[in-house]
Amino acid sequence: MPLADLLAPDAVFPSLRASSKKQALQELAQHAAVLINRDAREIFETLLQRERLGSTGVGSGIAIPHGKLPKLDKLFGAFARLEKPIDFEALDGEPVDLVFLLLAPEAAGADHLKALARVARMLRDPDIAEKLRASRDARSIHTLLTAASASDAA
Amino acid sequence: MEVIGLSNLVLLVCAALVVVGTLSSLLAARFGAPLLLIFLLIGVLAGEDGPGGIHFSDYGATYVVGSAALAVILFDGGLRMRATSMRGALGPAFLLSTAGVFMTAGLVAGAAMVLLGLSFLEGLLVGAIVASTDAAAVLFLVRAQGLRLGRRVGAVIEIESATNDPAAVFLTIILVELLMAGATHAGWDILAGAGQELVLGIVFGVAGGFLLTFMINRVDLPPGLHPVFVVASAIVIFAFTSVLHGSGFLAVYLAGLVVGNRPVRALAAITSFHDTVTWLCQIVMFVMLGLLVSPHSLVDSILPGLGVAAFLILLGRPATVFLCLWPFGFSLREKLFVSWAGLRGAVSIFLATIPMLAGLPGAHTYFNIAFIVVVTSLLLHGWTLALAARRLDVALADPLREPQRFEIDLPGQSEHELVAYPVAAGTVGIRADLLPDWARMVLVVREGKVLGPEEAGLLLARDYVYLLTPPQRVHQLDRLFMLEELVWGQDAAFPFAGEIRLGDIGELYGLPIPPRDQDFTVAAAFADRTDDRPAPGMRIVFGHAAIEVRQVENGRVTLAALRLEREDAGRGTQFIQGFLRLARKGRNQSDTF
Repeated sequence: MPLADLLAPDAVFPSLRASSKKQALQELAQHAAVLINRDAREIFETLLQRERLGSTGVGSGIAIPHGKLPKLDKLFGAFARLEKPIDFEALDGEPVDLVFLLLAPEAAGADHLKALARVARMLRDPDIAEKLRASRDARSIHTLLTAASASDAA
Repeated sequence: MEVIGLSNLVLLVCAALVVVGTLSSLLAARFGAPLLLIFLLIGVLAGEDGPGGIHFSDYGATYVVGSAALAVILFDGGLRMRATSMRGALGPAFLLSTAGVFMTAGLVAGAAMVLLGLSFLEGLLVGAIVASTDAAAVLFLVRAQGLRLGRRVGAVIEIESATNDPAAVFLTIILVELLMAGATHAGWDILAGAGQELVLGIVFGVAGGFLLTFMINRVDLPPGLHPVFVVASAIVIFAFTSVLHGSGFLAVYLAGLVVGNRPVRALAAITSFHDTVTWLCQIVMFVMLGLLVSPHSLVDSILPGLGVAAFLILLGRPATVFLCLWPFGFSLREKLFVSWAGLRGAVSIFLATIPMLAGLPGAHTYFNIAFIVVVTSLLLHGWTLALAARRLDVALADPLREPQRFEIDLPGQSEHELVAYPVAAGTVGIRADLLPDWARMVLVVREGKVLGPEEAGLLLARDYVYLLTPPQRVHQLDRLFMLEELVWGQDAAFPFAGEIRLGDIGELYGLPIPPRDQDFTVAAAFADRTDDRPAPGMRIVFGHAAIEVRQVENGRVTLAALRLEREDAGRGTQFIQGFLRLARKGRNQSDTF
């Protein structure tokens, strides 16, 4: 499943404003709620519950908050570039400015893991991260994310 | 004068064979071929049907040299086994090495009767000869390949292989005696005799170990003689026990176990000397067994031999393992791995010389069958053991190369020794205060300058670090200084504190967490598997993800990371991953996600 299948063009937010981890998650939950027509509070709680186990900040300024949402029909992704980097309790302590939200259906199983691995590997590519940080245009970021994952697999 | 000429010739041939054997390790390292098999092949090539053309058929000499070599190898195995690692593995290993041997022998007897047209007792003799797994081969392969097995599985196969020889030796000797006397079925005295071997082996082994420890610590020998004293004493314990009809093999292993787990003076010198001697013993034993075999006479036995080997490896051993381990709560994968780790080695060939020595009719057939079974096992298991460990997820981490370690004895006490390691690039970040509390960093040599641990801070590549540590724990430091591809900043890795329940992580990601691990925290799971000695980089694989140790404080995992399998990764070795990537090149990417 290419990334284009789970990341819609309108799920890219090139300059999200948030001053804390909690606020960033709230903002993203709200945007996601609109796109998949669900309660923002439920999404936020799911993400928060996951963060309680351990931060989803994977280092180098990247966070991949994720969780399982009941009755979701397929994997859902959203990407945000934060205006100002924030503390995310990440592994390396670096502030985070690239956030990829991933919601999975209850029964996603291996697909959930594969999508996470793919997103993480792509964002941790320094070239891609640099381009993402340089861009403010939702469409070009979407192209970058989906094209990068396609060429990556060849 | 002719006698002197002949002696020199014999000396020349023997030494040259050892030299060739030593050099062949380069070959093995390059091609990953099982080294023991190469030693055996050198013997065959030097023998009567090879270019060497040496006629060697002295079964008596083989028996003597082989016993001594096995005794040394087993003693070395005991010396390196940590008593604490044996927790929870003794029961299963004991069952495998007693009932398991009889069961394997019985099953193989059936196959041998059909394939070779033997009587029941003759078939049982074939079974007994190939029934025991070979400690030398198991210990050697596990260590040579740097496999880091989970504690329980590793301990079971190690203890089993070291303790099952008595049962097999005894069964073989009794069967040969019965067959020589013309008996047609086994009597009650088999069991009674095996019991005696076992008890005497245990008593003399443990007592010998304590006596030896006492002597090493009390008697002031000139430096350099300690290791010689120990090796000679090990052979004395073996021979003494055997003379009194106890199991010398069991005794010598137990003696090694006692010495290795007691504070002993000069342990560093002893173990490093043992490294050398064990290698020499392996070379001598396998080259000699190779010399002994006559390939042209093998031809007739090849098909039945392969049949026996296939039956043993695919049916006999797994059936025995599954039955013996059934009460102990091993997972299917663990049982499969233990089944696969039933390496046959020199012991079997060595046991096959007993009918020869006794002059039993058809002795050549037993010998040839044993030889073929051993070669098959060395080839098949030797080449695939590491792969099997990975495929079955019983390895705690990737196989690693042994780090270079220099040990320095501290005169005047036996509680501590000084070890030095070169620090390789990519070694996990190590600082004086991050070391286990039993190890003390003494100094660091950086670019020719000697620094204190405080000044040195985080260790850098090309440093040499000197540490003070109890000798029994040195090998745990090895893990810290092993060269390992570091995963920081490479793949996806999500941090988890050590106190998170595995069940919670498993539920979130749909990972197959075994029921007995569900309620374990990450820290508890690693404590259980590593005998309370987790080290950064170790991992437990659950389906498509692995939990990997990142930080350890006071022997507990405080931080772990969930690593996800690369979406294009097979579950095999890097070779397989590389192969898959190659195979996928050019294919449409749409189905690779």
